[in-house]
Amino acid sequence: MADDSIAIVRVRDVLMIAMPADPDDATVSALQEKVLQVIEQSEAKGVILDISAVETLDSFFARTVAETVQMVGLMGGRTVIAGMRPSVAITTTQLGLTLGGAMTALDVDRALDMLSNMH
Amino acid sequence: MSIKQQREVQIRSDNDIVATRRTVRAVAQSLGFGITDVTRIVTATSELARNVVLYAGSGVMRWRELGMSGRVGVELTLEDNGPGIADIEQVMQEGYTTSGGLGLGLPGTKRLMDEFEIASEIGKGTRITVRKWRR
Repeated sequence: MADDSIAIVRVRDVLMIAMPADPDDATVSALQEKVLQVIEQSEAKGVILDISAVETLDSFFARTVAETVQMVGLMGGRTVIAGMRPSVAITTTQLGLTLGGAMTALDVDRALDMLSNMH
Repeated sequence: MSIKQQREVQIRSDNDIVATRRTVRAVAQSLGFGITDVTRIVTATSELARNVVLYAGSGVMRWRELGMSGRVGVELTLEDNGPGIADIEQVMQEGYTTSGGLGLGLPGTKRLMDEFEIASEIGKGTRITVRKWRR
């Protein structure tokens, strides 16, 4: 389904990945492989994971995001998670989830600033 | 307590977790829950539906609207015929897992909802009922 797909756009040396609102498990699982593949091909240094559309971040989704951040790190890249909705932040915290200490930003603009200040 | 409606969603695979979430989101929104409570209810549903797929293979989610002395709420029941849970106290502990997961599912779900009931019998299955009341 088109509205369930993951869009990856490269801007300079940053990959911007937009997650759909309510992805199924297969789409969430595909995120990891797709991101790592594109990093290798594009030699990107940073990744922005835009979750501003995401309405539900359950433990499976959160674990996959945290693992992806770690894997990107092993390949020499940095990830910023951008745009978490207030309702998702509240729910995720009460559920007891962390994103493994990943860098976060209010929106994609600020995430881009963070990544460009690092280089 | 009056039962106004009762509906169910079959859970047989990963894909049905999405269907379950979408159904519950629509129900919670139609009952007038705010965005944060809708998110809590849907996230709790996702955890419970995934447990059904993960541990029992298949099951069913039933939902109904609750009305009691002017209060409005929603009740979700997830039932499976899986292996059952030997030690319920253990699975309600933070960090306990047999699936390599985070072990946050059940204790986390309990925190997101107002009421949480679990019944399980070895070899017969598990039934979890959760409720949330509109503020």
